[in-house]
Amino acid sequence: MISPSPNPPHRQVLIVDGSADTREVLSTALRMRGVSTLEAAEARQGVEMARQYHPGVIVLDVEAAAADDDQICREYQSQSREHHSRLVVLGRAVQYEQDLPRDRIMSKPYHFAPLIRTIERLLSSSAET
Amino acid sequence: MASLFVIHGHDQGKRFPLDAAVLSVGRDASNTIQLQDSEVSRRHAQIAHTEQGPSLVDLKSSNGTYVNGQSVQERILRSGDRVQFGRTLLIFTGNEDRSSIDLLEEVAIIDRNRPAEGSRIVSSISQEEGSRIVCETDPATSPWLARTRSNLQIMYQTALAASHTLDIDQLLQRIMEFIFEWVETDRGCIMLIDRESEELTPKVFRHRRAARDAEKMRISQTILDYVLEHREGVLTSDAKTDERWDTGASILKMGVREAICVPMQGRYDTVGIIYIDTYTPPGQMIQNRQINRFTNEHLKLMIAIAHQAALAVEDTSYYSAMVQAERLAAVGQTIATLSHHVKNILQGIRGGSYLIEEGLKLSNTDLVRKGWSIVDKNQEKISNLVMDMLTFSKERQPERIAADLNRVVADVIELMEVRAADADVRLLWQPAEGLPLWTFDPEALHRAILNVVTNAIDACEKSGDGCVQVWTDYDQPRQVAVVAVQDNGEGIPEEEIRRIFSVFESRKGSRGTGLGLPVSQKILKEHRGEIRVESTPNEGSTFFLEFPAIAAGPTTETMSELPSG
Repeated sequence: MISPSPNPPHRQVLIVDGSADTREVLSTALRMRGVSTLEAAEARQGVEMARQYHPGVIVLDVEAAAADDDQICREYQSQSREHHSRLVVLGRAVQYEQDLPRDRIMSKPYHFAPLIRTIERLLSSSAET
Repeated sequence: MASLFVIHGHDQGKRFPLDAAVLSVGRDASNTIQLQDSEVSRRHAQIAHTEQGPSLVDLKSSNGTYVNGQSVQERILRSGDRVQFGRTLLIFTGNEDRSSIDLLEEVAIIDRNRPAEGSRIVSSISQEEGSRIVCETDPATSPWLARTRSNLQIMYQTALAASHTLDIDQLLQRIMEFIFEWVETDRGCIMLIDRESEELTPKVFRHRRAARDAEKMRISQTILDYVLEHREGVLTSDAKTDERWDTGASILKMGVREAICVPMQGRYDTVGIIYIDTYTPPGQMIQNRQINRFTNEHLKLMIAIAHQAALAVEDTSYYSAMVQAERLAAVGQTIATLSHHVKNILQGIRGGSYLIEEGLKLSNTDLVRKGWSIVDKNQEKISNLVMDMLTFSKERQPERIAADLNRVVADVIELMEVRAADADVRLLWQPAEGLPLWTFDPEALHRAILNVVTNAIDACEKSGDGCVQVWTDYDQPRQVAVVAVQDNGEGIPEEEIRRIFSVFESRKGSRGTGLGLPVSQKILKEHRGEIRVESTPNEGSTFFLEFPAIAAGPTTETMSELPSG
């Protein structure tokens, strides 16, 4: 959320989650690893930020406000396709699971260490492409 | 939609809609209607829609198929038929209930805007008062009432015995017969509240032969609303003047229609209403010099009958299976909601712990501190959730002791200061001066006030200029202790104010458990008080927690020892 431009886009993660605790934990852990973060509390605002910054990874809580909206869901998927913003979803929701590899769906309650590892792996693989 | 409803057996409470052209019944999972019953054959029976109605065909099952206790090979199903496969008993409800169509031709509910031909409520009696006639006996004052009262017991016994075997429509028919036996009424109608739509549906209609050609039975919605809302029986009359004994010109010309409308109050809920009316033609009135045929005695009797009828209705297998299904659904919903909250809290604790772990690994105290504050916040959340759950689930008597209301509120304020500062909300506290000690449960009140203050802070968190004011007061004329909590948040639309006190109706999205306000309200009710809300959208809300101020200490004791009068 702070000065996203200097970082190359693929070292940037957008966190869309209704819980302030989760946003804080993920932001803190990622920033410690040299990854810049963007935060949105609800899905609509998250789409706007994704369009603007094309982050390397989008972490989306399926329970965030408006995340269950079909239109919003399609927007996230098209961001992911067209701008290589890899999507990781927190929680189970059928509409997001169709094209997503199993390892990018974190059932709740999830552990943070594997989530962070997944995000790092996606970031480094998108750096190669 | 035609359906089969399981009233007895492993699948009790399940409803199978008959929505396909052909349906199969059996134990096997391949059947449209699968029954968990070892006495049911793998492929037991088939139901096909025909022009005459759904046709039930037994598929040479080992234990046979029964309709209303008779073994059948093939049978067209009619509404109310009891169908038995193995040990499973189901009730069939038809697509279009013929009788209910006829009823709609006989009975019209007149909407609120059109007054029902000037009928007005002549008197009303509360349900409790009316029920008392079942136990009180004063044959001297009214031999008619005394006789009917003893009949009432018989009716209940009969109805009770019948209710286990009869379906609900037959039971209501019987009740109507009883009413016609004892009350001189021309027409009668029983309406039950549909548990899905919550609307009144006419179930039984009956009239005396002489009244057959009379006009349609008109029932005013206003009166139905009144009866349901106040749980009172009413006696109405369309006589044009207040002096009912004055045989005025209009009465002579038009005759008088009188009606009694009573709630069917059961153990748990109002299950429906009973409506009866009479019409006295002008000629008859001149003959008898008396125009009213319904009196308060009739009203009382009808209330008692309706109560017994409601008990019998609740006792029918159909009804209790339905109520049970509803309860199971409610329990399921409760568990789902609570596990959702616990899951979210757990997620917070895991996040905090993760930061602590990382911090310990890197010897980074800042990280540990950050993680700890998240864990701490969430353990507070879980403790609040558990306390709310306990308060809500237990029927408890408040532990009343002499306590200082200002002290209790001050404790809450102190607790909430951090949260208010985090949310950027100013928290102002103005204790009333010179409050005496009162008798109440300080721990319970603490919880009630805490929940309301928490909501107030949440309500104006995003406004930027958030401010919560808390004050205490003593309302001298009403002798009521008051704790007021005012916020300048977004306010609550008037139509939602009633809902905020219902369980699991959170307006705070994932942050709220939907338990806070119901718990606070319950605590105040236990103190014979209540919570009042005044709210203006976009300006904020004020919650008043009010309860009778009972002075503590020796003063009250000496007072009560004094002889009264």
